[in-house]
Amino acid sequence: MSEPKRLLIIDDDPDFVAGIKSVLVNAKYQVDTAYNPKDGWQALKTKDYDLLLLDIMMGRGAEGIMIARKLNKDPKLRELPVLIITGIREQIAFLFPGQAVHPHFVPVDELVEKPVEPKLLLDKVEALLKAAAARKAQKS
Amino acid sequence: MQPKTTILVIDDEEVVLDSCTQVLAGPQCRVLTASNGADGLRLVQEAQPDLVFLDLKMPGLSGFEVLDRIRTLQPLLVVIVITGYATVSSAVEAMKKGAFDFLPKPFTPEELRLITRRGLEHHRLVQEAARLRREKEMLRENFAAIVSHELKSPLAAIQQNLYALTAQLEDKLTEPQKELCQRLKMRLDDLLKLIHSWLRIMSVDPDKLKETFKPVSLAGVVAKALESVQPHATRKAITIETVVAPELPTVQGDEGSLTEVLVNLLNNAVKYSYPNSQVTVTVQPQNSHVLMAVQDRGVGIAPEDLPHLFQDFVRGRAQPEGAGGYGLGLAISRRIVEAHGGTIAVESQPGKGSTFTVRLPVAPATSASGSNPQTQV
Repeated sequence: MSEPKRLLIIDDDPDFVAGIKSVLVNAKYQVDTAYNPKDGWQALKTKDYDLLLLDIMMGRGAEGIMIARKLNKDPKLRELPVLIITGIREQIAFLFPGQAVHPHFVPVDELVEKPVEPKLLLDKVEALLKAAAARKAQKS
Repeated sequence: MQPKTTILVIDDEEVVLDSCTQVLAGPQCRVLTASNGADGLRLVQEAQPDLVFLDLKMPGLSGFEVLDRIRTLQPLLVVIVITGYATVSSAVEAMKKGAFDFLPKPFTPEELRLITRRGLEHHRLVQEAARLRREKEMLRENFAAIVSHELKSPLAAIQQNLYALTAQLEDKLTEPQKELCQRLKMRLDDLLKLIHSWLRIMSVDPDKLKETFKPVSLAGVVAKALESVQPHATRKAITIETVVAPELPTVQGDEGSLTEVLVNLLNNAVKYSYPNSQVTVTVQPQNSHVLMAVQDRGVGIAPEDLPHLFQDFVRGRAQPEGAGGYGLGLAISRRIVEAHGGTIAVESQPGKGSTFTVRLPVAPATSASGSNPQTQV
């Protein structure tokens, strides 16, 4: 049995976080939470995570995007896969259900819309972890 | 103290400049003067006047040239022309070019004051209208962002916790309890969808949509729309038949929005169909247009409801069990179709069904786009 994967959720809505955290904990992930971009960034810098779940609309605007941009500039953190969970699909594109959307903030990322069905959430998390592992294997 | 109003007088006759200044200048009003067109244009930009008096007949730049340039530089600036050679025709021409009014020479101080008052009042209205337009634009642009966050966030949080709870209680809940959870989920989902529709209707800007127009194949639109509606139709045991004419010309438009229109029409057709019936999508060229029709054999629409069908927030009354919706789909569809220079129409017979027809102009200078053989699904 391998070590449980460590996930970080950055989202300013504690009620929403409770909903996804519970799904992820039940699926045997180890989950940390940060409720603002500052604490989130601090956690990313001080601990090792296997995946980040990131909300876009936080605080006074799209502060999640700032985190994603900072991640991409950091040579180590840019390898962290990111699942963007957001309610702003409308403004990003007119999409069709079920289609994967790669925002391309970092090399491995994907976007899902709030609320997200537990099965879809777990599928996306697993797929991103695999994609990141494959990328790592290819690089070394 | 800075005077409230700035008036610029452009005239080559010093006596006109002096008399205008004498009549109009005061603690509330600053009067600037220019004795030729070039100086006048410079002051228009430097001093941002509220009102300009402009002589039509001047040496150098003519009044008409100055007027043209002012219209380009500051389209909202109110210009009153002074016509020395009091001919009606030149005044009319100046007004056609955007002057607000004309003042024939010679004029009395009272006439000057009167026309100045009217000009400034017009200036105020023009500025107010521009401000309201800007505000409306900003509100529309930001509305989507504000609503999506403030209204959708709490709903998303509720739904997310409900998802987690039902997944974790999967083996503990009885069937009737699961059904209760399902009802909660459905109603929340409806509410989220309603907010989505709201956002769409507020944020569809026909002019912005036009900027991204490309040649679109309606055969592709039909395929995409079907993919989205099929599960819904299958649940009600409704067959969707498509009849797409071969060699269909492309239309100039936005594929995503046109697909949204067809998805709306198909969802309605399925929603108002009797179970086990058939819905037909027909796409065919007609002269310089392409017709896309969706026909159902469902409940139909009462004749008195037909005229209001494409207005915001109207929904037909004859509804089969469980048909939800908020009447926004057709209003959104109409806006999208009209942005494409097309029309949308409906024919219906209560109890027999309805046919919605979208008529779109063919893209300019296109030949037939590939061959789309007649397909049956």
